[in-house]
Amino acid sequence: MVSALTNLALFFNELLLMLRAPFNIALLFGSVALGIFFGAAPGLTATLGVALLTTLTYRMSTEVAILALLGMYVGAIYGGSYSSILINIPGTAAAAATAMDGYPLACQGKAGKALGITTTSSFIGTLVGMIFVAAFTPLICRIALNFTSFEFFLLAFFGIMISGTLGSEDLAYKGWISGFLGLFLACMGRDQLQFYPRFTFGIPELDGGIDVVPALIGAFGIPQIIEVLRKEVVPLVFQEVRRVTPELKELLRHLPTAIRSALIGVGIGAIPGVGEDIAAWTAYGVAKNASKHPERYGKGEIDGVVASESANNACIGGAIIPLLSLGIPGSPPAAMLLGALLLHGVQPGPMLTIDHPTFIPKVTAALFLNAFGMFVVGMLLVKQVIKLLKIPQVILMAIVGVLCVIGSYAIGLRIFNLYLMLPVGLLAYCLTKMKYPIAPLVIGVILGPMADANLRRALMVSGGSFLPIFTRPVALVLFLATVFMAVSQVSWVKSQLKRLRKKVPLLSEEERYILAQPNRKG
Amino acid sequence: MRRIFVLFVIGCFLVSAAAFAAERYPDRIITDVVVWAAGGGTDVCNRVVMAEMEKYLGVKINVVNMTGGVSGSIGMNHVYSQPHDGYTLCGLSESCVTAGVQGGFDKGMKVWDFFIIGGSPDVVSVPAGSPYKSLEELIEAAKKNPGAIKAGASAAGSIHHLNLLALEKGTGADFNFIPYPGSAPAQNAALTGEVEVVVTSVAEQSQLIRAGQFRPLAVLIPDAFTIDSITIPSAFDFYPQLKEYLPISQAIGFAVPADVPEERKAVLREAFKKAIESETIQKWAKENFYILSGKTGEEAKKEFLWLESLFSWTLWELGAAEINPETLGIPKPEELPR
Repeated sequence: MVSALTNLALFFNELLLMLRAPFNIALLFGSVALGIFFGAAPGLTATLGVALLTTLTYRMSTEVAILALLGMYVGAIYGGSYSSILINIPGTAAAAATAMDGYPLACQGKAGKALGITTTSSFIGTLVGMIFVAAFTPLICRIALNFTSFEFFLLAFFGIMISGTLGSEDLAYKGWISGFLGLFLACMGRDQLQFYPRFTFGIPELDGGIDVVPALIGAFGIPQIIEVLRKEVVPLVFQEVRRVTPELKELLRHLPTAIRSALIGVGIGAIPGVGEDIAAWTAYGVAKNASKHPERYGKGEIDGVVASESANNACIGGAIIPLLSLGIPGSPPAAMLLGALLLHGVQPGPMLTIDHPTFIPKVTAALFLNAFGMFVVGMLLVKQVIKLLKIPQVILMAIVGVLCVIGSYAIGLRIFNLYLMLPVGLLAYCLTKMKYPIAPLVIGVILGPMADANLRRALMVSGGSFLPIFTRPVALVLFLATVFMAVSQVSWVKSQLKRLRKKVPLLSEEERYILAQPNRKG
Repeated sequence: MRRIFVLFVIGCFLVSAAAFAAERYPDRIITDVVVWAAGGGTDVCNRVVMAEMEKYLGVKINVVNMTGGVSGSIGMNHVYSQPHDGYTLCGLSESCVTAGVQGGFDKGMKVWDFFIIGGSPDVVSVPAGSPYKSLEELIEAAKKNPGAIKAGASAAGSIHHLNLLALEKGTGADFNFIPYPGSAPAQNAALTGEVEVVVTSVAEQSQLIRAGQFRPLAVLIPDAFTIDSITIPSAFDFYPQLKEYLPISQAIGFAVPADVPEERKAVLREAFKKAIESETIQKWAKENFYILSGKTGEEAKKEFLWLESLFSWTLWELGAAEINPETLGIPKPEELPR
């Protein structure tokens, strides 16, 4: 208790110290705004942003550097939602789940509302993450230490399966087929355990495997561009927005989803190596399953946007927890953050609180300030970016096409990435035409290496036995969750579940009536 | 007026000619291209040393990162394509020596001259709750039950894996090697109990050792190593025959193309030597658990050629190399002097 109070005092002390210098405040808004740009531009990711900023902040003092780097991180994870909602091309993998409902909302002329609620959700998410960094670091770490290779494999597999059930219009199997296709693509390149080339066809550029960013841009960007140019997409409606901050009543209605998703985000972020993308998908899936109207998801459900955006921002706090207390980054951008800390002579790990007693309060203070910085910059930007919709889609898509090419090339300055992006895009377009969802394909590419290497490593450790899945509690829970999710998609089970739900009314008739009312003000 | 102008132009020529004749090196900004990401060990070492060398060279040194390719090949190719005038350095580490057999840099290590800053020694550790109290107990257990004890280290063919292989050869023990994508995940696996032994560098483990979460059994260098009040014995004390295979030390540093004019290399060597001996660097190395090397010239080249040979042939034997080291003219490690 006493230590908690001391920490609180230290936190406010650091907060005031950071706020005292006007330069810091300018830096705060600057790095958040830069982060939003990195997030919104397809091809520029949070990881790349943090990496580039790391070299720029080398000569700054440690706390100022942390403020800037976290600002970049928070801004980029939030900024990805802009392109998801406005053009249906997620700016980062973390925002892919946001496009599911964000873009339909934009099609209904509610882009301003969607962006407003996204900003609020990201803000709530970041704050929840911050609270966990400040208060529950040791606890979370103990839980994260239950993750061995089997658990990592099951988590990655769960992520692919859950994204498969969410996107498909007709059959869940199609989502899974798409997910497994992504998994197969991820197998290309040198395998991570024995370094043996697989499916590289003697092409040296394929040695490193399929880069996530060109695959992401191709899979989401190309089909969208083709469809807009073929005028298959409903033209977006531009509506002047007066108010972007959501009303209190509306906020309260979405608050349970936001908090629950933020908790999921923190938990997933704390697991080493698992990033914002899985956090967003899992939160989205849980929100859909918990909702009384799962059928509205994918058609413009505000709760869907709230779930994915609060989860991916909460994941930042989660990812920082193992970074600070074990020296193991929780997500790819956090790995860059680790590098930046080492550059400043701060070695994170269990001795951090002894070597640098004020460091964790510093990080929480920086995160707190960045949450506010993001909220302010976000709210100011929303009204402006919404004007993008005034540009005729056909012209906008031509620009987006160029950006896609630049984005794919910029990541490694490799021309080969373009040869990768275009075929993946065409494949994705064909799949969309056959009503296969694209998101699971990308999730497969992202999580594939994690699933593949960890399964094989787990079997190396266990001597080829699958038994640990059933003897390790976390593994068992993940396994059962995956099985349940798979089985619940079978139509017979689905109808049984529906019948069961009908028998036990969770809501009174009156409540149902209220919920069934369309939102008159929106 | 015209006369003044003519005189001015002549004056300019004379001044620049005089400057040219003196040929001062360096007279403009030097760029150090680090082939690994910002914040990594190679990057941090280069930045710290370059900041010190600036003082002795009198010009600014810009450190930039150019990652990608295989074993840092994109950065190395870039530096090699720049004029060989000593104004572009290449920040690299021992892991870059495999760029040849991985098909990224066919010129090999012989085209460079190296400046070795140093590295952190490898240490064999077990989690705090482990039954093994000493290296001998661990080795005995591994001999009794070959392949039963799981040892974690970064990917096959990495420096830590090579250290583990050398430990096995030198002691006759047989571990079950479990590869991880890096040192941090390998250490995490030891914490979760997935592996029983972990081999990474002291710098990487220092936090866990000082916090008492890891029990360091032995360092894989000839001398004992001290962290705070903990003295880690040398594995050589228990198994003297290890010196045939070890040490395989990290070699972080930078390089210039070998055909850079000799007098310029001498200027760099001079500044490098002063930087390594400076109090700042000595203190930094101690605090971060690095052992400074300071090798340059023939000595440094010999070390890198040996590392190239060892890494390349090990990868080839593991079936993980793209190109046969023989076609690149890389001799086997036995054929080289240590």
